[in-house]
Amino acid sequence: MTLPANIDFDTMKPEEFENYLPDLFANGDGKVSRDPRLQKFLTENPDCAALVSDLEAIAEHARSLFEPVGDPSDKVWANIQTKLREESARATESEPEDDEVKEID
Amino acid sequence: MYLEGQLMTQVVPAKPNLGLFKRNPPIAGEAEAIEAAKNGDAEAFSKLYALHKRRVYTLCLRMLGNVSEAEDMTQEAFLHLFRKLGSFRGESAFSTWLHRLTVNLVLMHLRKKGLNLVSLEETINPSEDDAPRRDFGSRDPVLTGSVDRVALERAVASLPPGYRMVFVLHDVEGFEHNEIATMLDCSTGNSKSQLHKARLKLRELLRQPSPAAQQTTSTEAAQ
Repeated sequence: MTLPANIDFDTMKPEEFENYLPDLFANGDGKVSRDPRLQKFLTENPDCAALVSDLEAIAEHARSLFEPVGDPSDKVWANIQTKLREESARATESEPEDDEVKEID
Repeated sequence: MYLEGQLMTQVVPAKPNLGLFKRNPPIAGEAEAIEAAKNGDAEAFSKLYALHKRRVYTLCLRMLGNVSEAEDMTQEAFLHLFRKLGSFRGESAFSTWLHRLTVNLVLMHLRKKGLNLVSLEETINPSEDDAPRRDFGSRDPVLTGSVDRVALERAVASLPPGYRMVFVLHDVEGFEHNEIATMLDCSTGNSKSQLHKARLKLRELLRQPSPAAQQTTSTEAAQ
């Protein structure tokens, strides 16, 4: 859903807030807890504030997973080399020989 | 629906993704290796493999959650790279281009396995059991500052495939919702919604005490 233009952030219910959350996170810098429109609501609804805080922590820590975990095993490179050799050999076999070209000419 | 021939056109971004560029700075000697590999230099291609194998493998592993499949897709990604390297024009960082190529290959692989992305709205949704509960839960314990990488890795691996894919693409890899929507052939709203559900599910998983912690607690209780 897209955020309706006329939301009253101060008086919305927690259920409404949860429906708006995907868009609230997607818009701006993803820091819903810093959104000035939500400060009153979050202060009055600590469970919603805790939810926002947790989801922000998860999103923030997710970036650490970008760093590589390890190498693929050596067999991956060995397989790649084998396949490339096979492809190269097939390509050579399917190339017309010089004699054949001359005949066509 | 993706066809084999469309793969590389999907790789070229419509606009530069600054987030990805920042995370994929140029690597010394890479440009020379790319040019040499384009001309069939096997050693240069081997250098490109050495430079990028970890990142490609990690991406495959995160998207697939399975070492064996991740290795197979790493192999496929580099074979595909070898065949298509000539079409790399340097309009984006090479690592970004290779990243997108890999993502698209993994998505094609998942489609072949039966994940029908044409009707993504239905098939990407996990069963009711897997879906996050729609309650806010108690306030304690909050996760801020206490999410450790190992626990998060484990939780991400246990996410339903649809949630995991969107979470990895957005929160880990830095793709925008509109890019994910294009890749997955779904609406941006669907991408946002899946991401939100993935984070809710992760919160639920991370709030569960680990088996080790449970054991400690029960030992303490017995004393």
